[in-house]
Amino acid sequence: MKKLIGLFILTVIISCQDTPTEVFTDSFDRKAMLVYWADHIIIPSFEAYDKSLDDLVVAKNIFIENEDIASFENLRVAYLSAYVSWQTVSMFDIGKAEEISLRNYTNIYPADENQIQSNIQGQNYDLDLPSNFDAQGFPALDYMLYGLAEDSNAEITLLKGKDFSNYLNELVDRLKSLNAEVLNDWKTNFRDSFINNDGSSATSSTDKLVNDFLFYYEKFLRAGKIGIPAGVFSGSALSNAVEAPYSEIYSKQLFFAGFETIQAFFKGVSFEGVQNGTSLEDYLIHVAEQNNTSSISDEILAQWALAEQKALALGDSFRNQVEVDNIKMLQTYDELQKAVILLKVDMLQALNIQVDFVDADGD
Amino acid sequence: MFKPFLLILTALILFSCSEDKPNPQVENPAFYDFERKGQSTVSFSGQTTRILMATELLQSMLDFNMTSSQLLEMYTNESPTGQDVGPFGNPELNASSKSIKSKVAASIDFFSANTAESAAIKSDFENWIIAQVEEVYPNQNQLATQGVAGQIADGTSVRYVNGKGLEYDQAVGKGLIGALMVDQMLNNYLSPAVLDEANNRTLNDAQITEEGKRYTTMEHKWDEAYGYLFGLSTDASDPLSTLGEDNFLNKYLARVDNDSDFTGIAQEIFDAFKLGRAAIVAGDYHLRNAQAEIIRKKISELVAIRAVYYLQQGKSGIPTTGNNYGPMFHDLSEGFGFVYSLRFLRKPDSDDPYFTRTEVDGFINQLISGNGFWEISGETLDFISEEIASKFEFTVEQAGS
Repeated sequence: MKKLIGLFILTVIISCQDTPTEVFTDSFDRKAMLVYWADHIIIPSFEAYDKSLDDLVVAKNIFIENEDIASFENLRVAYLSAYVSWQTVSMFDIGKAEEISLRNYTNIYPADENQIQSNIQGQNYDLDLPSNFDAQGFPALDYMLYGLAEDSNAEITLLKGKDFSNYLNELVDRLKSLNAEVLNDWKTNFRDSFINNDGSSATSSTDKLVNDFLFYYEKFLRAGKIGIPAGVFSGSALSNAVEAPYSEIYSKQLFFAGFETIQAFFKGVSFEGVQNGTSLEDYLIHVAEQNNTSSISDEILAQWALAEQKALALGDSFRNQVEVDNIKMLQTYDELQKAVILLKVDMLQALNIQVDFVDADGD
Repeated sequence: MFKPFLLILTALILFSCSEDKPNPQVENPAFYDFERKGQSTVSFSGQTTRILMATELLQSMLDFNMTSSQLLEMYTNESPTGQDVGPFGNPELNASSKSIKSKVAASIDFFSANTAESAAIKSDFENWIIAQVEEVYPNQNQLATQGVAGQIADGTSVRYVNGKGLEYDQAVGKGLIGALMVDQMLNNYLSPAVLDEANNRTLNDAQITEEGKRYTTMEHKWDEAYGYLFGLSTDASDPLSTLGEDNFLNKYLARVDNDSDFTGIAQEIFDAFKLGRAAIVAGDYHLRNAQAEIIRKKISELVAIRAVYYLQQGKSGIPTTGNNYGPMFHDLSEGFGFVYSLRFLRKPDSDDPYFTRTEVDGFINQLISGNGFWEISGETLDFISEEIASKFEFTVEQAGS
């Protein structure tokens, strides 16, 4: 009897399995999309970021030379504008950027104050080490320019110290050299392999970049900028975990820079904002037309509009927002989260793309 | 078209199963609540202590200020000459006379007459602890490369590995799941050799409790098995509502239960523990043993599923381009510990382990031969995964995702 039942259950299980999916053939021109992405979104974004880093290097050099309040304020301005610009390239974690872990060396926060102080004091450190991810990049600069002392004059006094100015110098130069490597690779080499890898395998450019887009949205935008400080993953709010906590008033601006990048990429808005080219929205519409269904893209855009509405209600300082009225952070998170399902399930299914990352184990 | 037939068949199965239902004397409570004269008889503080000791040992292995003798004292809770020591941050653990080491590979069924292997396993853990201090600590601020210990990025986390890519703290942590928790549970406390030792049955039948305690010896032994799984649960009578409260068996029961291929395993294990304990209260030893076999089967599956899971995760993490080895090393380090734990799994309705020492050593050697994780192939990981899964009712595919 047992054997029979076993056999029977086996039959049922087998017959319950999904019918084999048809080989997916959509006639969408992936290559044209990749060319547009590379030439009108990605490379111009890296170029603009590179330019903002040039300005930052200059401002840093002037400050180190003069060590006065005017050059310090100027350095802070350049810092902010480079940090905002970074948000437009963070999601493109592909090619050289992925290979050298550009994002890990640029924007892992909260910064580790103790590690930064011990690097400065010890003068013996290796910024290539993963354990120094959170002691460099913009979060470390935020600390160096806003978190060392009570006011600007006291900041400047500290930064006049040779050890401090050396570290500042190295942080800024390193941001520039890392990105220069990535930009150079896009221009000399990677663009061609990127646009020619136009198939639909898991390692094709489209599949990989769509995964990067999702990963960025889920981990860095939704969780990093909103969810983690709001305490979604820890149970209690962590106001120190916001982006740029020392300068304080820029976290909202940085969030929107990232959020707008996500939406522009999805819609195919060029970096200059003047052109509307082929991108994921068109791809989804195309597939929907082929299958005679309605496109998921409208739902995604509508969901983002709701998230944007919630985010607009947040204050400039997320740290303050978390401490005073965290519910608004949570509401923003919830709307962002609803789009994850649309993107990760519905969109990927429509485009026949597999998720290539899993939720981290957390240990 | 099969559906009506299936329903009938299912009904038939359910019906035929119901003949096995507990005899009327067995009062099966809704939660793991057992009382005598209005007071709880459930006790497993020794298990809680050992889980806490293991937790602190693991944290300390990543504290680069520790010495190997400090870490070894956490493992043995005594000095090399047998003197009392206080290695833990938690004073209650220092006050305890218990230790991790004394219960590693120490079950009555598998190791009471196999002390040579027991000693070898105990010293595997010591060797990993010492190697962490001697190989990994000096290279704290060095990038790991093939053959050279150091740190490596796993996403935004930092992992510390030996020259083969293995994290010793993971080897110890996941290895203890088998060598301590599973071995003690399946091969010691759930064993009739322990439950029915001496005149335990007579005393239990007569409800004669241990001196100064509210439980009979047999009740307590059963609870001690329970404690290795639920020893850190907020509410030990209803542990499933807060599953995932340690870094050992409990955590991975939560993980496997969250996999839709295996949902329900946590409930099955809990139900078997609860019914088995109720059977002891009622003196129904046949029913008790039947529950022990369910636990053996399910806990064994749990560990095997997790071993295959990490090997498969490691396989899909093998970098095709670039040098992003960190995530793969972390998966394989966890996998290494779970594979090591296979040795302690117990076939239900049998005295035999699922895997012999030789088999497990074979897997381990394949994982770390040569340059270890740096050059392991997907074929090797698939081979080991298939070998493991072939002994169970799950597939590599089910476990691997």
